[in-house]
Amino acid sequence: MRSLTPRRIFWICAGLAGILFVIVVFSLKVGAYPMAVGDVVMTLARGAIGHWNAIPSSDRLVVFGLRLPRIALGILVGAALSVSGASFQALLRNPLADPYVLGVSSGAALGAIFSLAWFPREPWTMQALAFVGALVTIAAVYFLGRRGGQLDSTTLLLAGIVAASFLSAIIMFLMTTLSGRDLRGMAFWLMGDLATAPAVRLGFLFLVLLLTIGAIYTTASDLNLILTGEQEAHHLGVNVPRVKLVVYVGASLLTGLAVSVSGAIGYVGLLIPHVIRMIFGSDYRLLIPASAIGGAIAVTLADTLARTIVAPTELPVGAMTAAIGAPVFIYLLKRRLA
Amino acid sequence: MISRGVFLLRKEMQRTKHHVACASIVALIYGAFSSANAWAQDSSAAAQKIGTERLTGMPAAKRTVIDESGRKVEVPARVRRIVTLAPNLAEIVYALGAQDRLVGVSNFTDYPAEAKSKPSIGMPVNPSLEAIVGARPDLVLATAVNTWETVNSLARLGIAVYTTDPHTVAGMLRSITDIGDVIGASEQAQALVQKLQARLDSLKAKLANASPVPALFVVWDHPLQSVGENTFIADALRWAGARSVIRTKQNWPLVSMEEIVKLNPEYIIYAENHMGADSGSDSAKLANVPAAIARHLNQLRADETWRQLPAVRAGHIAVVSDEIDVPAPGLVDVIEQLAQELHPEIFQKQNQSSFDNFLQHRRNAPGFPNARQSFSPEAASCAR
Repeated sequence: MRSLTPRRIFWICAGLAGILFVIVVFSLKVGAYPMAVGDVVMTLARGAIGHWNAIPSSDRLVVFGLRLPRIALGILVGAALSVSGASFQALLRNPLADPYVLGVSSGAALGAIFSLAWFPREPWTMQALAFVGALVTIAAVYFLGRRGGQLDSTTLLLAGIVAASFLSAIIMFLMTTLSGRDLRGMAFWLMGDLATAPAVRLGFLFLVLLLTIGAIYTTASDLNLILTGEQEAHHLGVNVPRVKLVVYVGASLLTGLAVSVSGAIGYVGLLIPHVIRMIFGSDYRLLIPASAIGGAIAVTLADTLARTIVAPTELPVGAMTAAIGAPVFIYLLKRRLA
Repeated sequence: MISRGVFLLRKEMQRTKHHVACASIVALIYGAFSSANAWAQDSSAAAQKIGTERLTGMPAAKRTVIDESGRKVEVPARVRRIVTLAPNLAEIVYALGAQDRLVGVSNFTDYPAEAKSKPSIGMPVNPSLEAIVGARPDLVLATAVNTWETVNSLARLGIAVYTTDPHTVAGMLRSITDIGDVIGASEQAQALVQKLQARLDSLKAKLANASPVPALFVVWDHPLQSVGENTFIADALRWAGARSVIRTKQNWPLVSMEEIVKLNPEYIIYAENHMGADSGSDSAKLANVPAAIARHLNQLRADETWRQLPAVRAGHIAVVSDEIDVPAPGLVDVIEQLAQELHPEIFQKQNQSSFDNFLQHRRNAPGFPNARQSFSPEAASCAR
């Protein structure tokens, strides 16, 4: 294997970004509202130079008001989920770790149910409460997962699984007893859905995303060492507890961010880091940025399919990622065993 | 020693360079997305304005109305393009004779039949926002089955969304009036509501001395689900001279078999689609219903618990048209049909003549070109 230079990292990421760009253009073109490629390009170009009035109004609403925000949200959620998956896998030294195993999505779903039940009409409360739910769950799992003051991988995973099933029980209770129209959207939310795109502040979320990924990236070399063993890392001068804290908080923030705006989109956090590892190796200095772009590609593609294959009806994107992700995962498992 | 120092320095510089590069990429991407976001918001407001201007050739006159959920909505003074997010809304628009202005309907819109050929915008829950925008509506009609997320997203795109929220039969009539008012069809709405109200009043007069039949309305049977007190279905049962045995504030409660045995309903009421009789043409349905009822009754009689119920033993099963699920003008037809089935003694006296009247009514209702089919066995023989 060639040595990993910044140049190589750059070119691999640029290549992946190129693929992402192609998918974004494709995704801008297809949908329930028919548009020719030429129209998409013209709309974008006119938008870029500020000639708003020259664009037909429904073209503009569809491209700038619906598709672009939705694609941006897909990129955000995909990057957040897959970086947090990669981080949790290093942190717990467990290839099966992903945000959902740790109970985070159930916490967020509970927050979302609370908001749907008591403040159904405010556009912001659902995201806000889901985020709070995710963070509270993560904190609870973190404290339950410690043994002797140390974060213990097995205990943490078990705490996550227990928290997830406990929270699911509360969710089922609330969904059965609360009445009214407002829980109808919940089913979609539990499967993961990007239709919320017009209702979120993308600029702010992207800032948080990039800063958090940046923070996790500063620990990339240390994570490589931790993966060989915590003792060894410690002897090589890594401040293991500090790295663990940074990565845990960062990954939790990313998960909370993703789940609060899109619901529970499965398999991205689990699968994308594994795919990237198989192709490019498991050096975290490359794995983190490549996973971010890979996750963005996966979710954008899945959402494009979700909103086009049975158009004008939309599937939840989580159903798409699971339908594609599960077979791919099995394939990877078999290949590794063979 | 010196070489080591140089090495460290160089490494440090490389790292700084790396960090600077990362930071600038972060700044770039952030900038791009926040400005794209700002564009989207500016453009949607502007687009709405331009959209209406292009259609009318002048700045469109707007008025502010309060919808049934209490939201303030700016609707154009003359609504030209309507999208409905639920079947009952499409039915009301047709009944008001505004079907030419209907440019998009939700899935499951199948009444009147020609509404099926309108462009679809997806399911009532989680419709395709894109398809809605693509239909270029100046008014979107929503109701209780739609989510606030859908309503809020459309509102943010600058599209006027008027939400109805009927919980009773009277509420359904009010929705007709409200929608008529918003789309500029007040007269038609008034005429329609008067007609429906007159039919309800005459039914009420006929049932004045009848005691309400305790009934179980089955929404779903595995798991068993019924209706709560605050639903228009429970209210429709009251108008038809029945009362739902289930008393709860929940709208669509799951109920246990034990509860049913305890409450002991005298009649069990199903919607027709539940009988598996709703496939095929209308005439095929007519032939199917009695057979489907018989089949279902046999199933219930084979069940250890259901067959204990006096209602099942007596064969007291009523099947009503699917319109029971839809708060729209057709609900009144269902109420009349159900009243006849539950209180045959009252309707038998003038049976033949009143039944003819009943059909006549349906044919004359505005926007309803074909007589709706009635599904009782007598009606089947009558139609043949």
